[in-house]
Amino acid sequence: MPVRWSGPAVAGAVIVALMAALAVAGPIVWGDAAERIDAGAILQGASAEHPLGTDNLGRDLLARVLVAGRFSLALALAATLIGAVAGILLGTLPSVLPRRAARLATGTVNALVAFPGLLLAMFTAVVAGLGARGAVLGIGAAIAPGFARLTQTLAATVAGADYVSAARMLGVPRRRILSRHVLPNIAEPLILNLTQALGGALLGLAGMSFLGLGVQPPSFDWGRLLFDGFSRIYVTPEVALGPAAAVALAGIGFNLLGDALARAAARTTVRKAEEPPAPPAEPDEPDPGAVLDVRDLTVTFPGGSNPVRGLSLTVAPGEVVGLVGESGSGKSLTAAAIGGLVPYPGKVTYGRLHLGGRDVATLSDKELGTALAMVFQDPLAALNPALKVGGQLAEVAVVHEGASRAEARRRAVDRLGQVHLPEPERRAAQHPHELSGGMRQRAVIAMGLMGTPRLIIADEPTTALDVTVQRQILRLLREVVAETGAATLFISHDIAVVGQLCDRVVVMYAGRVVEELPADRLAEGAAHPYTRALIASLPGLDTDRTRPLAGIPGTQPAPDQVGPGCAFAPRCSLATERCTTERPELDAHGPRQRVACWEVS
Amino acid sequence: MIIKNLTVRFGDFTAVDDVTLEVPDGQVVGLVGESGSGKSSLARAVCGLVPYTGSIEGARRVQMVFQDPYASLNPRMRVGDTVAEGIRARDRDSEVKRLLELVRLPAEVAGRYPRELSGGQRQRVAIARALGGDPGLLVADEITSSLDVSVQGAVLNLVRGLRDELGLPMVFISHNLAVVRYVADVVAVMHQGRLVEAGPTEQVVGEPAHDYTRALLAAVPRLRG
Ligand SMILES: Nc1ncnc2c1ncn2[C@@H]1O[C@H](COP(=O)(O)OP(=O)(O)OP(=O)(O)O)[C@@H](O)[C@H]1O
Ligand code: SF4
Ligand SMILES: [Mg+2]
Repeated sequence: MPVRWSGPAVAGAVIVALMAALAVAGPIVWGDAAERIDAGAILQGASAEHPLGTDNLGRDLLARVLVAGRFSLALALAATLIGAVAGILLGTLPSVLPRRAARLATGTVNALVAFPGLLLAMFTAVVAGLGARGAVLGIGAAIAPGFARLTQTLAATVAGADYVSAARMLGVPRRRILSRHVLPNIAEPLILNLTQALGGALLGLAGMSFLGLGVQPPSFDWGRLLFDGFSRIYVTPEVALGPAAAVALAGIGFNLLGDALARAAARTTVRKAEEPPAPPAEPDEPDPGAVLDVRDLTVTFPGGSNPVRGLSLTVAPGEVVGLVGESGSGKSLTAAAIGGLVPYPGKVTYGRLHLGGRDVATLSDKELGTALAMVFQDPLAALNPALKVGGQLAEVAVVHEGASRAEARRRAVDRLGQVHLPEPERRAAQHPHELSGGMRQRAVIAMGLMGTPRLIIADEPTTALDVTVQRQILRLLREVVAETGAATLFISHDIAVVGQLCDRVVVMYAGRVVEELPADRLAEGAAHPYTRALIASLPGLDTDRTRPLAGIPGTQPAPDQVGPGCAFAPRCSLATERCTTERPELDAHGPRQRVACWEVS
Repeated sequence: MIIKNLTVRFGDFTAVDDVTLEVPDGQVVGLVGESGSGKSSLARAVCGLVPYTGSIEGARRVQMVFQDPYASLNPRMRVGDTVAEGIRARDRDSEVKRLLELVRLPAEVAGRYPRELSGGQRQRVAIARALGGDPGLLVADEITSSLDVSVQGAVLNLVRGLRDELGLPMVFISHNLAVVRYVADVVAVMHQGRLVEAGPTEQVVGEPAHDYTRALLAAVPRLRG
């Protein structure tokens, strides 16, 4: 888990390290000074000799604050551990107990979580008896419900995982499922929570001591010192401020470190940034007939990851172009780059990126919003679950075109009818979850049609749907294109779907276009070894069942592992020496076809 | 194995409606139908993961392989430990090796974590784990639908190989009839919780008797030209 050492993270780590050192060395170094009674220096304020003043026996308060560190931290640690252990046990009970008892355990946790922590702590402390032990148990009790709830939630997620079902079917005992599958997968967030809980426990214990419920003399912790000093705060504030500052500093330190760890855990590895790629060469003349005209599009992520590499593409009005390739070939990032949606810290460069003859960088959000309609694989992600379908569609027209509410609503119902949603009026008044997957995808397409899109980008719009619904949606897309004359970029990993729907196919491999050809030539005229291998791996209704199916051995290189030659070379049966060192350019191969391969010419 | 009058209900919704289906020894039964037609519910009932009425006879030790190979392996467990989970034999190490070989994975992957494997490799690990439980029946629920076509072929070849080598009966679920046709000896078609047609693969695909089967066949995407 790599931690990014930002200012707060460093500060947290330094403070925690200092506290640890103080806990070890404090009593050894200042132990004597802290206990030395000096009848001549009772209840003094700050002086050169006693920077924080002295207490009612004339003992030096600075020494006492430094010595109290060990006890304060030890108590906090004990309270946190008690709380964590009790909480984790309570939280895991539901997954090991029989159903009835599990429900009881869950109920108990819920009730405890609802109970105010401070009351729980005070109640426990009073019952357990005044003193350090009571305070520790009290704070432990206050921490436990939070841990129990966290454990329970995390465990429930993991318990629903397929690997747990698989283990159950294999007859792996419950306790073993807990120890091998559940706990290891929830350990990280629990440990992070522990660091933060430690900071909380420290403050809580100081609070308890301050209320007189905690540490009793002659023992002392920071809270106790604060309690003793508080009565003198108007006369000599420094005697109270010393211990208060110590508590605050330690609390802040643990919280900062916990935060930094949590953030590091939530982030995936980011490697060192590298030189950005050289700007692409001067592009040739723009294509005046194209709605979408892309030249040398490149997407880079820090760490030398280059998922899209100098991609060029045009789509004409009324044309459906299919972008096909294996998972990870860069299809979605290409779409994201066109729509200006590449996530941070990705960088997009291009020689030309024109939509309707204008550079997309010069288009306002509103212009881009009406000219471009995007449809994604998961229609639920595009729809707000809390709003009615019709309202969401209407919103588009209101925001982008300033249409009146009534006009926008009418158009929404009209568009829903256009995508053949049965009973569009009734459906418009429903929420997304009341629609089936296919209906939702229709609604999203209808949403794209609310404006007058010149380009439709559909990224795997049918992958989540079964074949029968897929067929309906593909028909619908064709119909929409015929009616509106919009240019369409259709992205899919399924070359059969692309071949069926599209006019032209663009095949992508490891971030580059390797072949471009008319869709009706796929079956007979595909030239690139990768395209041919993809087609050969497709089982059809006439595939010979007595022979093994073809596949492509090996895997596509990751975006930071692409070598200088042809990226397909390690998997290609035709590869030669030259293929591994020199990269073939995309060159014309007969009319309307272009191929990037040394062995095809 | 034979499933008799199987019904699965969730609340008032009937997911599987009085299905009777036989899985002959050593054969692969392909189960097709659109999403929501009840395929997965039937599979889960056979595996004992959901309550049902009716009877399932002769299905001892059923194991299942899941759709998403990224969600079905414990990310914190090495491949070797995952495969060993169901193994009862004394010499686990050599058994793990044998199973990995059976699913055509090199023995060295035993020491790796799932994140270091491709989707196709993970799905093989999941199959090896299921085989480790010495199943009398293997249920494969859409095991290739989250894989690229380039690796789908290898997994389908493996499924066929297992039937030929081990004589292991299987229920193979998919919504793609072309895929089912390739691996199955018998095809059963489900629609809205009911079994609408079942028979030898070539017969169901060649001369479909039910309208819904014809619709499914028409929906299989194919290249033009
Ligand atoms: N935010 C990101 N940060 C770093 N790398 C990323 C990011 N998003 C995508 N990538 C990498 O870029 C490559 C291309 O991803 P992309 O999503 O475009 O693939 P795809 O062709 O759409 O694949 P799929 O068929 O699985 O949807 C992948 O290797 C991916 O890991
Ligand atoms: S350039 Fe070489 S390695 Fe690349 S596809 Fe062509 S033959 Fe294969
Ligand atoms: Mg994608």
